[in-house]
Amino acid sequence: MIPCTDFIPAYSELFKTLNKINGKKAVEDFWKYLAENFLTNLRSLVKKHGLKGCWLYWQHTLNEEAAGFTMELNEKKGFFRIKMHKCPSKGRLLKIKHIKPYHDYCRHCDVLYRHILEPLGFEYIFDSTKCYKASCSITVKARQ
Amino acid sequence: MKDTLVMRKRASDNKYLHKDFHGALSCGIEYLRKHYGAAVVARYLKTFTKSYYAPLRQQIKKEGLKAIKKYFQKIYKNEGGMVEFKESKDKLIINVKKCPAISHMKSKKYSVSPLFCETTRIMNEAICEGAFIDSKLVKHDINRGRCLQIFVRRTS
Repeated sequence: MIPCTDFIPAYSELFKTLNKINGKKAVEDFWKYLAENFLTNLRSLVKKHGLKGCWLYWQHTLNEEAAGFTMELNEKKGFFRIKMHKCPSKGRLLKIKHIKPYHDYCRHCDVLYRHILEPLGFEYIFDSTKCYKASCSITVKARQ
Repeated sequence: MKDTLVMRKRASDNKYLHKDFHGALSCGIEYLRKHYGAAVVARYLKTFTKSYYAPLRQQIKKEGLKAIKKYFQKIYKNEGGMVEFKESKDKLIINVKKCPAISHMKSKKYSVSPLFCETTRIMNEAICEGAFIDSKLVKHDINRGRCLQIFVRRTS
């Protein structure tokens, strides 16, 4: 059994495998498949609770992943935001010196969640400019 | 800000244990199997194991079966598996009565790839490579989350 605590490097290696087989498109196709087949709970929560569904989804995952984060929800103003101070996944990959992570690892957060949230009527903004130090932000806005 | 719900956490506030990752790994294995075949799944798992577990492989080369037992005791304990270890001079038997990965996926109703237990077979083989230890996944029951793993020391 590969322990769940070793999933992140296994995930990164999976991206590298797909990239080697058929380039960037193969990796993106997988991310979309994962969104469709695995992130069904995010879709159901947002369908049921609107923006609050994002809060319910990420409060579970970010706490279990021991992330350093600030999460904000304002339903009146129509926004949900995660400021990721210390991403547990990227942080882990940066720490492990004997493996080389997939070069575009952080982009899965852009593709996966966008794939779920935009068709449900939300704008999804992912700021990856600080990914190099395991930090990023996600903003989900209700479209007017 | 008024009307804004806020949650702030430091990384040290929680223990890192997100078992849903087993479901994501199973989903990834199933994607590879469906689109590229079982051989690609095997190659992927072998490549990952040999590179990521390089420090563990070194430890096994130095300490043999002891290092394998120590490693698996730690990870099964961390995830709450029901596992029995039997060790003799040249043999280590790991009897998994409740696999934490499979039981978690079943409880969350995630689909389990038919190749999921290859993670065990291939990982075990790869960590033993070059250490004069043979590993066998003697039997496994993916539906009940049970398996029997045997590691045997050889002289050459």
